Amino acid sequence: MPLTALSWLLLLLSALSHSGAGSWLGVWPQWATQLAQGAFVLGVFLLYRYHRSPLQGQAFVRLLKQLLLGPGLLALVCIGLHLFERLLEPDAGAGKASILFTSVYTVNLALFVIFLARTNYAWRALVLFRSTPRLQREWTIFEVLLGATLLFRLVGVNPPNYLTYPLMAGLGLFGVYLSGHQKWVAYLSQREKWRAVAFQAGLLFSLLVFVQYFRVTQVDPQLIAPQPQYAFLLLTAFFSAFYALMGLLVTFFNMPIADVIEQRRNEILRLQRLTQIIQRGQTTTEVYRILLESAVQTAQADAAWLDLDPVHAGIDAADATQYYNFTQAQADAMRPRLQGHELPEGEHITNDLHTRAGFEGPAQLYRSLLQLPLRGLHFNYGMLYLLKTEPHTFDREDLSILQTFTSQAVLSIENLELVRTSLANQRTQEELKIASQVQDSLIPKNLPTDNWFDISSHSLAAKEVGGDFYDFLHLQGRRLAVIIGDVSGKGVTAAFHMAQMKGIFHSLMQENPLAKNERDKFPVPSKFMAQANTALTHCLEKSSFITSSLYIIDYEQGGFVFARAGHCHTLYYHALREEVFYFESQGLGLGIIRNESYEKHIKNQFYDYSPGDVMVIYTDGIVEARGGDGTEEYGEDRLKLRLEESYFQEAEEIKNFILDDLNSFTHGHPIHDDQTLLVIKFKSAQPLPLA
Amino acid sequence: MKVTAQPSADTLTLLLDGELDASSAIVLDTELAKPDILNYRKVLVDCAKLSYISSAGLGVFISHLQRFQDANVKLVFFNMQEKVFNVFEILGLDALMTIVPSAAEAEAA
Repeated sequence: MPLTALSWLLLLLSALSHSGAGSWLGVWPQWATQLAQGAFVLGVFLLYRYHRSPLQGQAFVRLLKQLLLGPGLLALVCIGLHLFERLLEPDAGAGKASILFTSVYTVNLALFVIFLARTNYAWRALVLFRSTPRLQREWTIFEVLLGATLLFRLVGVNPPNYLTYPLMAGLGLFGVYLSGHQKWVAYLSQREKWRAVAFQAGLLFSLLVFVQYFRVTQVDPQLIAPQPQYAFLLLTAFFSAFYALMGLLVTFFNMPIADVIEQRRNEILRLQRLTQIIQRGQTTTEVYRILLESAVQTAQADAAWLDLDPVHAGIDAADATQYYNFTQAQADAMRPRLQGHELPEGEHITNDLHTRAGFEGPAQLYRSLLQLPLRGLHFNYGMLYLLKTEPHTFDREDLSILQTFTSQAVLSIENLELVRTSLANQRTQEELKIASQVQDSLIPKNLPTDNWFDISSHSLAAKEVGGDFYDFLHLQGRRLAVIIGDVSGKGVTAAFHMAQMKGIFHSLMQENPLAKNERDKFPVPSKFMAQANTALTHCLEKSSFITSSLYIIDYEQGGFVFARAGHCHTLYYHALREEVFYFESQGLGLGIIRNESYEKHIKNQFYDYSPGDVMVIYTDGIVEARGGDGTEEYGEDRLKLRLEESYFQEAEEIKNFILDDLNSFTHGHPIHDDQTLLVIKFKSAQPLPLA
Repeated sequence: MKVTAQPSADTLTLLLDGELDASSAIVLDTELAKPDILNYRKVLVDCAKLSYISSAGLGVFISHLQRFQDANVKLVFFNMQEKVFNVFEILGLDALMTIVPSAAEAEAA
């Protein structure tokens, strides 16, 4: 900055020395003036080059305004100075310029240079707006070449004309090429465009003023000072003017298509708004309202209404129709006429309702109709109707943009629906978890322990809750009741019946105070089954049944009695005979016959056990577990073999041995039924005598 | 699971083909729930191609058992595979329902 000011001062002095007015300065050499001039121009341009970019964001109009009100006004100052000088010295002698004239000339030259520099770098900001790296390189080359022309005069080289002109013309063409980059015009709104045109015209005018001034003074006989840096100033002036002219023309001719561009921009904005509604989790009613609003604005419809299907659209019947500038009565009158002409595709434009069949009779106020269904994945949510008073006013473009709107709206609705469903699902999952916990508490955690037997158990539900159950109950007189059961079906229904069966077990296994002898205090297994069957008659649905086995082990006598109500056969290892077998006994499942005759179908079986005997009790989820190719079942034979191999182990080890084999058999297949496995091993230790 | 009904004078023969589980039980239930099925004297169920029956499948037969008995319609199963018969037997249904080895015996029953 100080260097630039200094160089201008030198320029002034040298000019004065030449003009003769400043004879006290002596006559400075020609090169000094040239150098001062060159340094000043370079300084000003460099100053603006590294100045903050005049373009702030996308405030193009502000940039043009500042350009006009800043350097543009300099032109006025220039004229003012010129007139002022002419007024003071109207008849200065030829060949001898006054101090004032020279000073004014030098000041004006400086103003012009500043004006050009400002303009140039403002244009740079516009040319490089959203530019590619390639364009940025091209601009740098342009600047360097322009800078090089400064040197022409400076080093006193005066190339011959045949070299200068093509070079100048080449640089000029380069400027023309760069002037083609007017991307910024597209970002102006209609009003801004008019202002931009005005400002650019103003700029061109100020440029013209400057050029005119220099053309006049150039031939002025008073001017003795050396000619300014023509090549450089000419080129920059040309570029500034050409870019402004191009910008003006581009802006001007952009005017007619501006509203189309603006409309497209608005469409995008509306689409964005629709999309944002999903994220904000608005209500469905709001989505439909915004759809109608956006559709009306985009298609510039005079009236519209939206018919929604209350079943699918997820809104109240009261909100099922939304109107815009239309009444219910009008819609009611229109609907029956339309219904007779439903088109297979759904969306349709009627160019002139007056010519459409079904619309004869009293003339319609509206003549153009656009109808568009809100298509969902599985069904239509409703139908959108847009109306205009003029015929032939909707086109395929309108239809396609509106289709984007409706599909976006449907997407929003379906998303909202998904959120709702997933919330409901989450609740159900939570409740199932609770049900699972409740059921888990129904299964005995503390197995009965004593020194005459050893029990191990396993249970696994195919779903969160299952229909398998087992339980134990110590009865008076050194007896233990063991029950196992399986409710037909799976899941929640089965779980309910399982809980019921547990309740029945505990209530029927109560001591009967009226019993005449010890043995009758508790029902024998067959009696229990018959009573349970009666109890279940009214609480089990027709196609459900329960299989169960009840064992009452009397460890004082070393024997047990059991009844099998359609449940899996009991697997048994007989230690004395060293033999594994299934108990073959008859017995009908519970809930199959729901009358007194059930008792005929259930039998008790008595058995004496000896130490070392093993009893394996299970549900069909074990023997019917699928493995192999998916159709093969685990089976009773395989279970029997496993017991033959493991009977000598402890109950826990026998259970694990069987489960390991089962798991390797079913590996890779989902379990499709609840699994329960109980292993009871009788031991030789005698029970403690009763206290 | 496929259920094919072959009506003749006083007998309806149902051919079961495939696995009778919870989902296919509905098909069979629709067939057995038809009111005019009670006009027959006998309903024969051919189980030759029935490879598996689940508790839901058994439930269908059980739920219609009383209705058939009340209307005096005889329900006879025949050609049953051993594996399937085993399931009927364990549940105790063999004592409650007529299960015979062959079609000839089913006709005679």
